[in-house]
Amino acid sequence: MNSSSSSMMMMPAGGSGGRGGGGRSWPSTTSVSSSGKRIQKEMSELSSDPPPDCSAGPKGDNLYHWVATLFGPPGTPYEGGIFFLDITFPSDYPFKPPKVVFRTRIYHCNVDSAGDVSLDILKDGWSPALTISKVLVALRSIFTNPDAYKPRVPGIGHLYLADRAKHDELAAEWTLRFAR
Amino acid sequence: MVGVDDSNKSPRFSGNPSKKGQEIVGNGQKDEVLFSPGFRSVAAMAGWDEEALLIASLIVEDTPDRQFKQKKRSDLHSLKTPPTNSRRKRRAQRRSPASIPVAVLNLDEDEPKPKQESEKVSREEKTSLEVEKGRGDEEVNAKSNGVSSSSPAIPCLDRLREELSCAICLEVCYEPSTTSCGHSFCKSCLRSAADRCGKKCPKCRQLISNGRYCTVNTVLWNTIQLLFPQEVEARKAADSAPESREAKGGVPSRTRSHNTRNRAVEALNNSPESDNGSVAERRRNHHRIRSQSLRVPSGTSSRGEVTRTELPGQDRDAALALRLQREEFMEAFTEPDERRRNSLATARANLRAMASRAINIRISRGRRD
Repeated sequence: MNSSSSSMMMMPAGGSGGRGGGGRSWPSTTSVSSSGKRIQKEMSELSSDPPPDCSAGPKGDNLYHWVATLFGPPGTPYEGGIFFLDITFPSDYPFKPPKVVFRTRIYHCNVDSAGDVSLDILKDGWSPALTISKVLVALRSIFTNPDAYKPRVPGIGHLYLADRAKHDELAAEWTLRFAR
Repeated sequence: MVGVDDSNKSPRFSGNPSKKGQEIVGNGQKDEVLFSPGFRSVAAMAGWDEEALLIASLIVEDTPDRQFKQKKRSDLHSLKTPPTNSRRKRRAQRRSPASIPVAVLNLDEDEPKPKQESEKVSREEKTSLEVEKGRGDEEVNAKSNGVSSSSPAIPCLDRLREELSCAICLEVCYEPSTTSCGHSFCKSCLRSAADRCGKKCPKCRQLISNGRYCTVNTVLWNTIQLLFPQEVEARKAADSAPESREAKGGVPSRTRSHNTRNRAVEALNNSPESDNGSVAERRRNHHRIRSQSLRVPSGTSSRGEVTRTELPGQDRDAALALRLQREEFMEAFTEPDERRRNSLATARANLRAMASRAINIRISRGRRD
């Protein structure tokens, strides 16, 4: 972690010119560096004081692409599962929410088969005062309390409301199959 | 050598000369910074024992740090000679010419144990002296950056930093602006949040009343400037380039903004005295960076420049007021330092005068003998 974070320190400076070949358009030097600074801050905060059962960090040497892992909380059908997520920061982060996608398949009414999450704070409810660690905590909370009234996958939501035991059984089966 | 002969002749001094010697050695190492060895031996001849020298050094090294001073004094007490019964005897010991370094070292070799002890003490003192030196450096740094930011005087600085940081950029608030719901953010952060995410408080999502959010909370801002001057200066330096582009409306040449930034960095690195020349230029360049020159003892040239700058708006007015305030503050701070330096000089002069008088006395006495 330490060595990677030190190499990360170079990122915002190199971000404007160094990696030009990626086909990604950087809006302006200042906004990139301010978002980069904030992401770096969040990274050091996460490494020093991570939320329980979560971890997150840059995927490679790109500060704007992260990987996060969530452990299925005990007492839920997701217990024992390890769920990988991709986090992509927009260039005007934190004024726009990060994109969070589940890489591990999960039987959950708020996560569709492509891994897209319907979480209010990742859409309209985003606030620049939110951080990745808060997002991770919110994601953890939908493991324990799925929002079946605003489902991404209506079928799972219905089942959750109608037959909780069946839903949990299926979810545990998926966890066993995909998340271990 | 008159002195050595003297000590051999007089039986009074053979009492515990090694102890005397060890003290001088320990003391000598400690005072290396202040007194040259030659001067020390002369001072010893003059009857200035280690206590007097230490006290003299205490006067000249007088740091604002109370605790440290007291600790040093207690060291001094532990160093003191075990009380000999007669005052005259002690005086005689003080006059002892055994303080000539070579003789002292010879005597010390006979009794290694107490010397070790004294070495320990002196090493302790040395380290504490180094600590003090470090602190002094820090003080100098602090002076060039306003007030010390990492001063150990405030133990909960990390918590303060957390508390005073902007939730949007996660750094210490820069020009904090407080919403009607009581949450504070950097002015620029809050403004862009309102522009891009709607006029809601980023913390509690309450509606932000329209024009209010761009006024700076002055009390909070002053507090932050006092507590975290380094962060504020760094941010100022980083912001100055894009800011100047914004402020002047047109796009100034790239090189110019680059210069501004460089100069800001220079101002951070250099000692306040050395960048006197660029003050005027910097002031013209940007009012932000002007505030950095406040540490320069308000020179005559820089005074004139103030009138040459354009009429200040409300924002600049506030900045000017703050700058003047800080200038006053810094003046109040630097004054005692100068006095201290003066006292150091006078203390040295006094010691020198005493020593030379002592030499004269000794020489005349030697002639009489």
